[in-house]
Amino acid sequence: MTERQVVTEDVPTADAAGGRAPDKPAPRLSRRRRLEGVLFVIPAFLFQLSWGWYPLVMAFVISLTNARFRGPVEFTGLESYQRLWSDPLVGQAFKVTAIYAALSIGLTFMIPILVAILLMEMPRRHIRWMMLLWFLPLSGIASTLLFRYMFNAQYGLFQWIATEVLHLPPQPFLNSSDQVLFWLVFPGILFFGPGLIYMATLQGIPASYYEAAEIEGAGFWRKVWTISLPRLRPVISMLLIFAVIGSSQAFEFPLIMTGGAPGGASRTVVMYLYDLLRGLRYADATALGVYLFLVTMALVIIQRRFFREDPDR
Amino acid sequence: MLFPQVGRRQPALRIAWWLVVAFLCLGITLHLFPFYFMLVTSFKSGEEVLAFPPTWWPHEGTLAGWRLVVSLVQGSNSAAARLMDGPFWMFFLNSVQITFWVLVLGIPITSLAAYANSKLQRGPLARWSFLFFIGTLMMPAALTLIPNYLLTRNFPFALPSVPGIPGTDLEFPSVRIWDTHWAVILPIVFQAFNFLLFKGFFDTIPDSVIQAARVDGGSEFNIFRRIVLPMSVPVYAVAIWTAFSGAWDQFLWPLVVLQSPEKMPASVEIYLLLQRFTQAGATNADQASAQAQQMQDILSAGMSWNGLMVLGILQSLPVFIAFIVCREYLLRGIRLRGLK
Repeated sequence: MTERQVVTEDVPTADAAGGRAPDKPAPRLSRRRRLEGVLFVIPAFLFQLSWGWYPLVMAFVISLTNARFRGPVEFTGLESYQRLWSDPLVGQAFKVTAIYAALSIGLTFMIPILVAILLMEMPRRHIRWMMLLWFLPLSGIASTLLFRYMFNAQYGLFQWIATEVLHLPPQPFLNSSDQVLFWLVFPGILFFGPGLIYMATLQGIPASYYEAAEIEGAGFWRKVWTISLPRLRPVISMLLIFAVIGSSQAFEFPLIMTGGAPGGASRTVVMYLYDLLRGLRYADATALGVYLFLVTMALVIIQRRFFREDPDR
Repeated sequence: MLFPQVGRRQPALRIAWWLVVAFLCLGITLHLFPFYFMLVTSFKSGEEVLAFPPTWWPHEGTLAGWRLVVSLVQGSNSAAARLMDGPFWMFFLNSVQITFWVLVLGIPITSLAAYANSKLQRGPLARWSFLFFIGTLMMPAALTLIPNYLLTRNFPFALPSVPGIPGTDLEFPSVRIWDTHWAVILPIVFQAFNFLLFKGFFDTIPDSVIQAARVDGGSEFNIFRRIVLPMSVPVYAVAIWTAFSGAWDQFLWPLVVLQSPEKMPASVEIYLLLQRFTQAGATNADQASAQAQQMQDILSAGMSWNGLMVLGILQSLPVFIAFIVCREYLLRGIRLRGLK
């Protein structure tokens, strides 16, 4: 380990300076250089087109057909949408997903921000190991396995905490349709990734901002409120969008933990979509995806409308 | 810097400071506990992992769980052999192969495009191509799941079957990559989030540096290779780390596009094993205490939570190592400015 510090002071603070450094209008590139620029972009362009945008357009097309495993594909208009609309399982799946997403964002979104702000207060030489330990990752499947073991109602660790430490009656945990969503979100309080992004952004804030604030007599929370959080705002906004999109697509964790049990109380939209796919009902599955898309898009648009991003305005 | 620089010795400030330290250390302890518990569980015996109350330390330490991974297909244990599709290293290698190609193809392709977008394109073109590249980031992947799945079956056509050429009995030419590793690799070669990371970083490199190199007469690719690349090691480390953990942890997509058991990545295989263990009763305390001969075989073969924890540890290990290797660069490589 060298003496180099994690928190480098010489980070070019383009962010703090309000976007990129003011450029002089650069001279126009020569033809050859522009050609090279096109070559740089082409592979990514092809991949993004064929696996990004083309399937997106096709999703809307397929949802308007009767696409199944075999047989001719015909346009059937909104039939799939109507079928799903009257399917009680769809309503349940959306309700479950909404509660799951709300719980997950409500309980887990703020913690990394707070932790990142507090971690930056530690002395320089301690920040590095504390940060490493706080954000040490576990692969998704491994943590899922572990929590399924811990949540076992018969012999799990959480049952031990409930009965032996807190002296409660035995808890059903994942077997109770009222509690299951809360317990699914609960491990997320400890395991999160984006803290590093917040820390990286925080260290780009010039120390002079805080010094000036201190001279003006600002206290701890005042500095957090008027300097740290506004500077983090573009990143918070971005990660909030990802959190909304990510939690509305919860699949892996609920699938492995409960498989939708008890009685569909933890079956999310994407889990139901996967069931439809396995039942080879392609059109219905895609239509369900479109429904989910519309809901998340509405949320994202509302969020972008009301969440002021630019800290300098 | 939130704590005042002067007057640190005031009692109120000192108490507040130590409260923050205590909070952070408590969080670290809680965060590390799962790692500890996984490791300990992997050394317990099949009966002990199902015991209540759970033990904090393996009372009768055994390597049964670890042996499960090393020697599974020896045929000595029929109950165990029936539950596994093959030796675990095979699935591990599948994951390695998939992740390798995602990194080797994805990182250069994504970073070159981001560089061109940041430094070579101007005006509306730059704006539109930026939106083109990151627009999919804001779309739920569930929407494109089915079309992408159909695409892997009949490549240029995202339809259940390839349409015929009008007027003939022939079908349009198509490629099927379904049930091959390419079906897992190709859709995540271009990663929009990494594009954002790269773009954010390249934007902070002053244009004058590149302009100076142009005056010296290097081609754009040489400028990128000789000047930009050495400056950008941190962002490459971050991008490799995110691409690596993303590809390694993939779950839903391989489950959809892979069918042959011998092609599954480790993440999916662990899930399938868990399903089978649960069906065989190896995670059920009541059945375990019923002392049936077959159940004893299964438990003594480490085919309960201890074996699963070993698989989980092995599966986490690469993510872990990648994190440790990239740790120097993680903070310096991230220069995101939101989605603007």
